[in-house]
Amino acid sequence: MSVRVGMPQGLLYYQYGWLWEEFFRQLGADVVPSGETTRMTLDYGSSLDEICLPAKVFFGHACALREQVDFVFAPRVVSVKKGQYTCPKIIAMPDLLRANAKLPTIIDSEINLLQSRRKLMEAVLAVGKTIGKSPLASICAWGQAWLQPRRLADDLTASNRLRVAVIGHPYILHDRQVSMNIINRLRQAAIDVITPEAVSCRQASLAAQPLGKEIFWSGSHHIAGAAMALMTGLKPVDGLIFFTCFSCGPDALIGELLCQRARVHNIPAMVLSVDEHTAEAGFITRLEAFTDMLVRRWRR
Amino acid sequence: MIVAFPHMGNMYIILQTLFNELGQTVCVPPPISKRTLELGAIHSPETVCLPFKIMLGNFIEALEQGADTLVSCGGVGPCRLGYYAEVQKEILERLGYRFEMIVIEPHLGDVVHNIRRLSTGKSWLQVYRAFQFARGKMELLDDLERKVAWLRPRECHRGTVDAIKKEGLVRIAAAKQENDLTQIWQDIAASLNSIKINQEIRPLQIGIVGEIYVMLEPFINQDLERQLGTLGAEVHKTMYFSDYVRGHLSYSREYRKRYRMLDQLAKPYLGHYVGGHGLKSIAYTLQKAQQGFDGMIQVYPFTCMPEVVAKNILHQVSKDVDLPVLTLAYDEQSGDAGVITRLEAFIDLLQYRRNKQTQVIG
Repeated sequence: MSVRVGMPQGLLYYQYGWLWEEFFRQLGADVVPSGETTRMTLDYGSSLDEICLPAKVFFGHACALREQVDFVFAPRVVSVKKGQYTCPKIIAMPDLLRANAKLPTIIDSEINLLQSRRKLMEAVLAVGKTIGKSPLASICAWGQAWLQPRRLADDLTASNRLRVAVIGHPYILHDRQVSMNIINRLRQAAIDVITPEAVSCRQASLAAQPLGKEIFWSGSHHIAGAAMALMTGLKPVDGLIFFTCFSCGPDALIGELLCQRARVHNIPAMVLSVDEHTAEAGFITRLEAFTDMLVRRWRR
Repeated sequence: MIVAFPHMGNMYIILQTLFNELGQTVCVPPPISKRTLELGAIHSPETVCLPFKIMLGNFIEALEQGADTLVSCGGVGPCRLGYYAEVQKEILERLGYRFEMIVIEPHLGDVVHNIRRLSTGKSWLQVYRAFQFARGKMELLDDLERKVAWLRPRECHRGTVDAIKKEGLVRIAAAKQENDLTQIWQDIAASLNSIKINQEIRPLQIGIVGEIYVMLEPFINQDLERQLGTLGAEVHKTMYFSDYVRGHLSYSREYRKRYRMLDQLAKPYLGHYVGGHGLKSIAYTLQKAQQGFDGMIQVYPFTCMPEVVAKNILHQVSKDVDLPVLTLAYDEQSGDAGVITRLEAFIDLLQYRRNKQTQVIG
């Protein structure tokens, strides 16, 4: 029987999950995704204290896989780009899992590109080794995985509808439970939603330069750069929603910077902060009030 | 150029000396007060950590008093401290203040450049002497703190030690020459040694781990060290200002060796540096358990990323090594009555545990 590798669908899964899933498949492992976030996930996650919601969600997903798999894939992603960190909670995730839950073997290889990109290959080999594969097999599988086609974000610059940038980490925006389905809600209201993925890394990096000192959290660096690019581009967005989770460290600072920039560029901006206690009704009311205001402003 | 800097415990004495010796006029911000906190909290992002708010409050009060150059520190992450200055600068500019901000980043070139900016017209020898003098004061202050922490639970008349400490701080702050420091220390040590102490007492040994700002700033931690001392516990802070300077600024060999040791100690629980002092909190808890401490207290500002990680692991450490750990998170809403009640309960628990242990042995 092939090994079963569980993929908790949280945090960086939304950015790199497709690649690792394909990698495991190429190696002949059964990939078991944990599925969408549910109330149950949040209940599991609540055993962590004071930590941000996405970290709790990841924890909940890992717990949900407990019975079904031989390995849980929760690598220690210290850095994905030279000179930048992910965030302390992502770095310590394997340790948090170990200290707070009884799980099958955790694949906790360190992915640390802080100093050099070559470390990625070391991590790939280490992950392969954990599930009992040779270095050669791992390299081949990694190469194969990269060849898989990826779906790209839609280009909405040509749209003539109301355009709103929803800025937030992918693991918040694309998790329907956490984000209260904000993207679809806005789309249903006939609004074009642009998320940070629509902006390329290069573009975001360039646009982030006027913010001053380079932001040393890779996730926040990208979303801040993307927001700047969307606000200062040829066709600036009509509104900006900064979507964050309560007690997200970097966002507390980045949100402040972005709101100030939005004020300078005269673009309406709103910060929406959620946690596991956020009620849907209150959330929708705020969203509707904001979009109504945008629509009136746009028609004028 | 009128230089101002944020407060952190007794740091102002050291920095004031340093900048004075470098030939600058210094404006020490008013001591942290309710007003500082309020000013900082109003203008800061809501969920940012407490040191950010206090530092912003300090800057505003200093600017009100006429400072025009703010000195702050940078960093390379992943702790938020490294990005403080950037956001604070934006906020202060939006509030309409005119100033220059000198952010000292941890790169040699940057440090040298900024020291030159702050010491125009001084030779490198004078700069060196200024740093030596400030360092002398820093070590004196930390020696004083350590001695006071030892004496506090043992003194016969409550408050004697603190009175001497207060006087000592004033004298150290007023010292104008490096040569005077030896004399001052002899005087302080003499008066501390003359205090009547209770020889029989074997006070509870409590270690403090956590975030350095909260650990060192008595206004924020509700005077934690003194409270514990009056409750009869001997407090060991695992970090003093001099440790921070040696570790992060001068990066001495001895410190690197110690850090490697701590890293190894924490490895089974936390496999990687998470910024700030998260790793040290875990490592020191393990170390103090080996040294036979009675309890540990972890302090940090609410939402501090590294310490929240440490907190979620510390309960496991505590269970494994059988050492009680109390966690205290501070924000601008913290009331002192709540903290004192929790400290009293914690001390009672530790005392109970110790009595039980002595009975078993006896």
